[in-house]
Order: sequence, then C-alpha cells, then structure tokens
Amino acid sequence: MIKLQDVSYVRLGTRDLEGATHFATDYLGLEVSERAKGAVYFKSDEREHTLCYFEGDPADQAAAFEIAERDDLVQAAAQLEKFGHEVTLGTPEQSELRKVRDFISFKDPSGNRIELVWRPAYSGKRYHGVRDAGITGFSHIGLCTTDVARDEAFWTQVCNARVSDRIGDAPLLRIDEVHHTIAMFPSPRPGIQHINHQVESGDDVMRSFRFLTDRQVPMVFGPGRHPSSSAKFLYFEGPDGMVFEYSSGVRSIADELLYRERQLSFDPAGFCEWGSKPEIPEFQK
Amino acid sequence: MIEIEQLRYVRLGTRDLPAAIDFAQRILGLQLIEKTAEQASFRSDFRDHTLVYFKGDPAEQSVAFEVRTADALERAAALLQENGYSVARGDAQAAERRKVKAFVSFKDKSGNSIELVLRPQTSGWRYFPSRDAGITGLEAIALRSKSNGADEKLWTKLFNGRVSDWVGDASYIRFDDAHHRLALHPSSRAGVLAIEYAVEGVTQLMQSQYFLQAAQIKIVHGPGRRPTSEQMFLTFAGPDDVLFSYVAEGKKIANEATHRPRQYPRQPLSFCSWGSETDIPEFTAGERA
Repeated sequence: MIKLQDVSYVRLGTRDLEGATHFATDYLGLEVSERAKGAVYFKSDEREHTLCYFEGDPADQAAAFEIAERDDLVQAAAQLEKFGHEVTLGTPEQSELRKVRDFISFKDPSGNRIELVWRPAYSGKRYHGVRDAGITGFSHIGLCTTDVARDEAFWTQVCNARVSDRIGDAPLLRIDEVHHTIAMFPSPRPGIQHINHQVESGDDVMRSFRFLTDRQVPMVFGPGRHPSSSAKFLYFEGPDGMVFEYSSGVRSIADELLYRERQLSFDPAGFCEWGSKPEIPEFQK
Repeated sequence: MIEIEQLRYVRLGTRDLPAAIDFAQRILGLQLIEKTAEQASFRSDFRDHTLVYFKGDPAEQSVAFEVRTADALERAAALLQENGYSVARGDAQAAERRKVKAFVSFKDKSGNSIELVLRPQTSGWRYFPSRDAGITGLEAIALRSKSNGADEKLWTKLFNGRVSDWVGDASYIRFDDAHHRLALHPSSRAGVLAIEYAVEGVTQLMQSQYFLQAAQIKIVHGPGRRPTSEQMFLTFAGPDDVLFSYVAEGKKIANEATHRPRQYPRQPLSFCSWGSETDIPEFTAGERA
C-alpha cells in the first residue's frame, strides 16, 4: 500500500505566466517564493511552495503527495508498475525544480499526473500574502475521474486513502485526520478539478467573496457550507478555467475506528446546506 | 485627575514625505491607510492609525492620548489651564484630519506638544502590512524632557499616570497594566525620542534585526533587554532624528496596589541588561544629555 502523508503541491501549465502570477498574488493572496525561468513558485503556509505555475500547456498539470521514506518511493514504483501504471523516476534536475529530494511520477487510472515526492522543502520564513486573505495553507485538491468506482478503488486500495463521505458517487477521501485531501468528481476528462486553500475563519471567506466580486472574479459556487466536511466555502475561477476554493472549519476525523462515511445527495443540497447552487460542471448532474 | 484611556497616535512633521512613507511602510512595516499630498497615516493595530507623517517642520511633533468623554475633555482642559498650561482647542477641520470627534492640545513644560482626543476612530478591518514585521500594536512613546521633574509631575499628578520605575531621573510611566506607555528621558531639548511598536515575539524582533541590517538601517541600541520592563528591544533610526523600537515580551504590572517603583542607577546596564551599547545621548552615562 502506498502511504500518502500529505498533499504537497500542484503544478499548472499556463500560456500567460504573468497573468497567472497576478491572479495568484493579488487575488488569491499567495506569496511569491521564487521567480525562476519560465516558472513562478507560490507559498501559502510553512512549506517552500504549494503551487507552481509554469509556461506550458494548461492541460499539463500535476498534483504531488508526500511519501515518508525513500524506500517507500521504490516500493510504490514497483507496485504501480505491477498494476500497469507507467512510472517515471525523477531526475535530480526535475527534483530541484520541484524542491524535493526525490520523486516518481505516474498517471492515475483516469490519466491525472500524480507525483510522489520525498522530503519536499519547508521554509523558515512564514507565509505572508500580498493581501489579507487569511490563508492558513494549501489543503486539498479535487480530481476529475472518468470512472469513479475504478478510481475510488485505486486511491483506497493501492493507496491509503479512506472514504470520508460520498456525494452521489463522488468520494471525498482522507489520508489523515482532515475530512478530505482528495475529492473525486466524475468528468468526461481527467484534470485537477479544484484547488483548496484553508482560511482562518468564515469572516475571511465572506471578505474574499466581497473582495473578489468587486474585482469581477467569476464566482462559481457559494458562499456556502458543505454538509459533508461542515466547512464554509467559496469557489471562484482563476486562470485557464481552474477553480479555486477557500474554506474554513473543515471537520477533523479523530477516531478512525468509529467514523462511518455518509451518503449525500448529488444535488445542490448535498453540496451546500445554505442553499447556494454550484455553477461548476463537475458538481452538476 | 485626568483619566487617560490609552495612547493613540504620534504626528510627525517631515520635509520629505515620500521618504517617510517609504520608511514607515517598507522598513518599519506599518500599513498605509491614507495618503494625501499633505499627510500619510499608518495603521499598526485596531486603531485607525497610530502614526502620521505630515509635510512640515520636523520639530512639529505631537503625541495623542485618548480621554473617554466630552466631559472629561472639558475637565482636563480646565485643570490644565488652572495649573498654568495654555490649552488650545482643535477646530473641526483639524479634528477631522485626526479622525477624532474633538481634541485639545497643550505643551508640557519641556515644550512637547500633547493632544487629548475624544472618540478616535477604530478600524473594523484588521491591520495587514506589506512587510511581515509581526507588529501587534503601538506600545509606548519615549519623550525627551528638560523640565527637571515638572513633566513627571504633570503625568502623575494632573493625569492618572503612575511611575513604574526610574533609571536615574528618567521615568517610566504607566496608564494601564503595561509597564509603561510613556517614558520621559532627561535631555537638553524637547521632542519625541522613540516610538515603540510591540511585535509578536523574539523571533520577529530578531528577524527584523537582520532585515534592518540588510536594508542598511542604523540600529542604535539592542537587541537587548530592559531590566525595568523586562522587554526585549531593538531600536533603530527613523527619518528626522526620531528613533523607532520593536519591543517583545516584557512584564505586566500585575498588582497595581502593591507595585513599588524601583530606582535604577543611570548607567548602560539599566537600559540593557545584556550589555548592548548605544550612543543615544539620553541613555549614556554621566552628565545630563
């Protein structure tokens, strides 16, 4: 079993690096940790970076998960190959670009590029955004799946994810005590479906709703509250159609043995207990 | 007795407003709130602003303290006048510039300009600076005093200030449970000696030390620790000969009834128990600066 420790970062290709950087800093509220040739790294918490935009095809995306031991990386590669996934070993240059000591890369059954990383860099300097969005850190991703049952099996059987709740057939998966770190949503094509940052409070969610609305950032869902994780949320659209989420107050699952996943309806009521309606294709029937 | 609620702001004249704004934002780490051709105000905490730079003579400085009611402001003005201080009432325009309902101003015996303000504005939005200096708020003001004790009497007899400690004849005066909000340092002239901002902790204070070094800002005292307030401090030079300090930790006056002011000798170790050296004339041993 591949033991995912945490979600580490997301890498997104973009044709407009400057525009994406403007969005990530002035709107989303991240801090630039490094400007490199053809790539900009962003910081949202104690880690050196949790988002990287690079010059390239917007369909070129990757999500990274941390693995505890280097040996686990080797074992994971063997296991993935056994299940028919093509695994690429990261070169030292590629590792440096990702600010990790070592990594492997593969595609999940839907075709999402996943990187398993060993010793991703932390930084001694705390995160301080360019605007006061109240961000406490990068927290989870939504992933598109072309076959939800097959992919749930992959993440829960080949990897260590557990189902926390299901909205229709869409599973919200945890790898630690946080309600979910990966949320899978049925879609005709693979891709990162949304990127979540936690904020300090519900006030921060609402402040950002006003701030981003004033700046004509398209709001696609919320403000609302998820009945699943109990988090207050706001979804809005960033560069290249990527959906970003702020949320606050996500449930923590303390007791693995006693917790039972729940079935929620795949309709607006299952996504939001305040009554807001998603304008996100993957959240709609 | 004039009851002071709290320290509110400092107004400083400057001949070079853009340079002062750059210092306050980029170096000190305050948040620019408002900028006109004439003045710029800066936030450090829940108060709308705690520092103002305005175009003018750098000798024009004032420190503002809040009183609670209009009645208290009237009584304060009358009491000061009875005691020989000449009190001026701020007009509506000046009050608006200060974002207060009303204010009076007077000069202490050294010539330091003091404003007593009513209903100064509070911000509903939290302080968020562009530089992460970890500032938690305006903590205290150090004033130069050439009055031979008359200024201390003003703050402790006419106002509700209490002396927490003395170093030589320098007095640390409190109005609440903080060790001091006002320090009076014997000097040959009047003026604001230092403006002190509290930071979250030692980490932020030391990060600033290296930041200031890299930015080639002159650190004039510290990092050190005051034996009086037990605050850790770092003092550096700002525009127009005004010093700024970051302070961290420090001791509250836990029991108002039992606290007795202590007399420390006028020597460097009384200003810094770690032994940091300084050329600040008001802190150096020997004759009055």
